[in-house]
Amino acid sequence: MIETYEIFKNNMMKLEVPVTETDFDQRGYHMEVILTVNTIREFAQTAYEHGFYLVFATGLHVLPENREGVKTSGLEVVYQFARYDRLCRIKARVSVPEDLTVPSICHIYQGANWHERETRDFYGIRFADHPNLEPLLLCEEDKDYHPLLKEEKKLKKFEAVSWPAQHPDIADIQSETLSDV
Amino acid sequence: MSESQFQEHNRFFLNMGPQHPSTHGVLLVILEMDGEYVLDPQPVLGFIHRMHEKMGESRPCQGFMPNTARMDYVCALPYNHGYVSLIEKKAGIEVPKRAEYIRVITSELNRVASHLLWLGAYLLDLGAFTPILYGFDDREHILDILEDVTGSRLTYCYYRFGGVAQDIDDKFADATRAFIKRLRERFDIYEKLVTKNIIFIKRTENIGIISRDTAIRYGITGPNLRGTGIAYDIRKNEPYSVYPEFDFDVPVGERGDCLDRYMVRVREMEQSLRIIEQALDMLPHGPVRSKVPKNIKLTPGDCNFAVEAARGELSYYLVGDGTSVPYRLKIRVPSYSNLSCLPELGEGILLPDLVSIMGSLDLVIPEIDR
Repeated sequence: MIETYEIFKNNMMKLEVPVTETDFDQRGYHMEVILTVNTIREFAQTAYEHGFYLVFATGLHVLPENREGVKTSGLEVVYQFARYDRLCRIKARVSVPEDLTVPSICHIYQGANWHERETRDFYGIRFADHPNLEPLLLCEEDKDYHPLLKEEKKLKKFEAVSWPAQHPDIADIQSETLSDV
Repeated sequence: MSESQFQEHNRFFLNMGPQHPSTHGVLLVILEMDGEYVLDPQPVLGFIHRMHEKMGESRPCQGFMPNTARMDYVCALPYNHGYVSLIEKKAGIEVPKRAEYIRVITSELNRVASHLLWLGAYLLDLGAFTPILYGFDDREHILDILEDVTGSRLTYCYYRFGGVAQDIDDKFADATRAFIKRLRERFDIYEKLVTKNIIFIKRTENIGIISRDTAIRYGITGPNLRGTGIAYDIRKNEPYSVYPEFDFDVPVGERGDCLDRYMVRVREMEQSLRIIEQALDMLPHGPVRSKVPKNIKLTPGDCNFAVEAARGELSYYLVGDGTSVPYRLKIRVPSYSNLSCLPELGEGILLPDLVSIMGSLDLVIPEIDR
């Protein structure tokens, strides 16, 4: 795993993509990659060349906020990649810009076709250059209804649903939750 | 009539499903046909879409347990297993060793039941009526065994956070051992009846070949992937529960055709029996449930948990926000990715071969539609 990780990380460095190593026992994936709409295709191509397959692609809806003066849409696309020959899982995420359009990767991973259509169904995220971005799981009449978008009062900040920068000790969490009994 | 006009004249669209018997559920495949040749098969999904992910995000995590069995109803226990393990990992809940053993035994029994059902149904797709009667006969024994301990025959909700609902007894162990002995004898019948049958071989050999590259591009997992020769099994590659304690092999094929996928599943049943035998021999004593808080808090942050279901990699991806209700619950089901390669596999083949390929992919439609 370490070897794969090093080679992959070096190639990511060339793409100038921020890569963070994560605790597999805690999160179930080895690294987190933060992408932009400009780097997602290059990243997918690199992952494909390194023998990664696409596990899934999906969305996440959080509270929109102003980041350095730029208003975000609050939507994220989350990808997961893994390998057949070695244990290595990668989570990649892209913040969706306000025009709700993200480049499609289904020319590299044909399997992404349905995952992207499903994400459009559930979140209304559009994937540029997708060959057939029609409703997949939902029906034609519900084309503009996106069931996984949350109501405004239920939305939480991105920081509130992500791991804190300083990982709390698992033992602390356990003793905290057990005290609820 | 010119050549191109003639070709145009022979083209037509054929709706296979949603009531077609060989789609095994409500799946529609729109086939563009040229005579008896398939030009472009396009699956249409969503007939039994129930939005399990939304249900998972709108109730405390305990309330989602029954849903997990209603996706892949043929092999429900690995779905239970993935979900409880995910929540246990997220909330830091300890599981007694005995409970993990029971989980493995029942999951593997369920896997064998799933493969037996597939075997019968696949042969039925190919026009052989007898094997499904044998398959159902054997599967019935497993359903009886599991019914005694779980309380249901198909949509199990047997595992609990921190253990299992109830302990297994000697009756269960004896019945399981008797079943293993019986099934090993039946394997010989299956081999004579199916594996060496020339018609079966002609219908499956070199049909629907999946290459390594196709598998990567579509994210194919499970026996469909192992048929291509890649020994990728989550139980070995990303060990969970007590699987590392057992000695078992991961059967692989060579060509990646329908016959290889068949062989992999048949040989996998024997490996599952081996795991069950070892687990019954090594079964530790002790409690089967640990103390779990009433209100399970899911710490902020995301977490992924993958298990090997009968059809391939099942991943639960959860985003917690500190409450007991998941903020986001994504369920990655194996058949979804496995079916997505059908337009590529089915290009330019005969219609009966398409039926053979779809059967060999082992599709469960409620799992795909979720």
